[in-house]
Amino acid sequence: MNKVPIGETLYTPKSKILRPLKLFREMYGDLFASRELAWRLLIRNIRGQYRRSFLGITWAIVPPALTAAGLTFANDTGVLNIGETDIPYPAYVMLGTVLWQTFLEALNCPQIAINTSRPLLAQVKFPHEAIILTQLGQILFNLIIKLAFVIALFIIFRVSVSWTIILSPIAMINLIILGTAIGLLLVPVTNLIQDISRAMEVITLAWFFLTPVAYPTPDNPILNFIVKLNPVTPLLVTARELITTGVLSQPLSFAFVSIIALIGLVLGWLIYRLAMPYLIERIS
Amino acid sequence: MTNKSTENYSALSQMKDDDTIISIQDVSKKFCRSLKQAYVYGLKDIAAEVFGTSRGSHALRKGEFWALQNVSIDVRRGESLGLIGVNGSGKTTLLRTISGLIKPDTGSIRIRGRIAALIALGAGFNPLLSGRENVYVNMSILGLSRQEIDKSFQSVLDFAEVWDAIDAPVRTYSSGMRARLGFACAIYTKPDILLIDEVLAVGDARFRTKCYRKLNQLREEGTSFVLVSHSSNAILNICNTTVYLSKGNVVMCGETDLVMSKYEEDLLKIGSESGKGAMANLSENSNNSEELHILSILFKDDKGNTLKTLVSGKPAYLCIRCKAYKMVENAIVGIIIRDINNQHDSILSINSERDKQTLEIPPGEQEIKLKMPYCGLKPGIYTIKLSISKRPFYIYDLVESFRFEVRRSRNMNQCHFYQPRSWEIEEVKVER
Repeated sequence: MNKVPIGETLYTPKSKILRPLKLFREMYGDLFASRELAWRLLIRNIRGQYRRSFLGITWAIVPPALTAAGLTFANDTGVLNIGETDIPYPAYVMLGTVLWQTFLEALNCPQIAINTSRPLLAQVKFPHEAIILTQLGQILFNLIIKLAFVIALFIIFRVSVSWTIILSPIAMINLIILGTAIGLLLVPVTNLIQDISRAMEVITLAWFFLTPVAYPTPDNPILNFIVKLNPVTPLLVTARELITTGVLSQPLSFAFVSIIALIGLVLGWLIYRLAMPYLIERIS
Repeated sequence: MTNKSTENYSALSQMKDDDTIISIQDVSKKFCRSLKQAYVYGLKDIAAEVFGTSRGSHALRKGEFWALQNVSIDVRRGESLGLIGVNGSGKTTLLRTISGLIKPDTGSIRIRGRIAALIALGAGFNPLLSGRENVYVNMSILGLSRQEIDKSFQSVLDFAEVWDAIDAPVRTYSSGMRARLGFACAIYTKPDILLIDEVLAVGDARFRTKCYRKLNQLREEGTSFVLVSHSSNAILNICNTTVYLSKGNVVMCGETDLVMSKYEEDLLKIGSESGKGAMANLSENSNNSEELHILSILFKDDKGNTLKTLVSGKPAYLCIRCKAYKMVENAIVGIIIRDINNQHDSILSINSERDKQTLEIPPGEQEIKLKMPYCGLKPGIYTIKLSISKRPFYIYDLVESFRFEVRRSRNMNQCHFYQPRSWEIEEVKVER
């Protein structure tokens, strides 16, 4: 049964997961079909964003720059006591903040994508992968601008970089994959229940302090254990090490988390796809 | 149970002739009124979907109701379907289910060809970007490739008539321009099926006419329509068949003329149930003045019998029963008659002062009679707004809305009003 001819669409109440092969084919097809649309939406968003503003892309670097400046000030005055870092502290903390924020943006990406496209989702049927791709494109765009700023900072502080910097995009992309995977897996709850998205704000704040963003991996055994349990740690630390020293301290956990993140991404995509019709029913 | 019916159906559909472009079989859809509960059910449904278990979608859970119930409709290629029904009868839900935005809870929908939905015009327009940029974004959302958009861009521009403004931000457009651009984008995606949800109510008369002309052209070229509208004219003009929905159920499905008259009849029924009140509750109306109360409004024929409905071309008296508590001099009776489907424009506006009539109402119960030698209204349902007032700005009493029906007489096909007339033949005397 169910040989649906080409150009014919069939809507039934049955779960799509019962026919996984067809589902995967549809997923792949929609991903492919949404490339052009995603590109267009990305250009629309970026243009729309900067057409109203005089400072333009400066706004992309203000938040990490302020965080970095604050932390540097705290460290210099001795309020904060941070151990020895491989490179001058301002550059160190700036790089860490940029990487952390990229992860955070990726984590929030599905929720923001759905929220900003509400009217569209409620009225037009189109491949929903497009809005996620658009958001990811935006994250990459922001990352590139922020990295340009980091490079400028590195030049000012005369920080030497390792040749392994050319490998660092892999680690950064894995960081984005991890964030997106978690975000997609949480789509049903974050978009249906307001409490969860509120809770996420608190959780991510705590998460920030448990990630070696502003400090190197601590020596204190308990803290060290907690920080190492954090899946963001190996990805963020590795990305930083690839840029600065070139000596990797946690290659194994990096590989492990990367594979988990990739599996999570596929699972998250699946859940996103299956959940979308129910979300649309309720957000419109 | 649902699974079975779907399977049976897919075998059936092979036997059906190939012209069926939309096939809706036993489709039901339920919604939940409580928001919080809807979210909890949503989570459960998603979980069932992910784990592939049955979500028991054919039964209602606590707090749910059927927005659509066992709806079966077939639309063939080139045919057009109208959907009518009062607000909340499930028209939009059906449209959204057909367009694939939401999943049916039972039954199945099979669609051949590309669908474009005109549910809201210009969905996804970014007001900061230029018209040109928005056309490209909007049409790629509707599923066109860049080359295809390039090809039809000029036609879109010509239809929307925004040639000069195309590079200005959409924010600077008038609402009419925005609607035109949105409509043009959807039309030029060359869909096989077009779903239209009352969007044509916006815009000025010229734009509406233009849209209908375009829709007619598309229909001649073989596009199918599903049209939701309150305006009987729109449906009568475009659709061959019409489905009348009420509370999620199909009340009637068939030729547009027949369904339409059934619908209008039912509308009047709803009206008269509360309509009895429209006449009775007037005396309790607190807005009326001390001097004069309107008691009731009714129609009579020339022999003085009360009429339930008027008939086009037949004489009638509009009688206003009122009670005056003292002598009311220089009263002005104002009457505005509107079509029930179009409450914006008045069809008739009658005013005793403009008719150079001075009305003096002595104390006691009185009947003010307006003689209409011919009822000029075409068949349909109308409302009357009636007031008795005096200059300047003093209203004795007011009836906001009194509903009545005008029935068809034999010679009122394709007429907008009744023309009193007589025929004769006169010989032309030719001078030599």
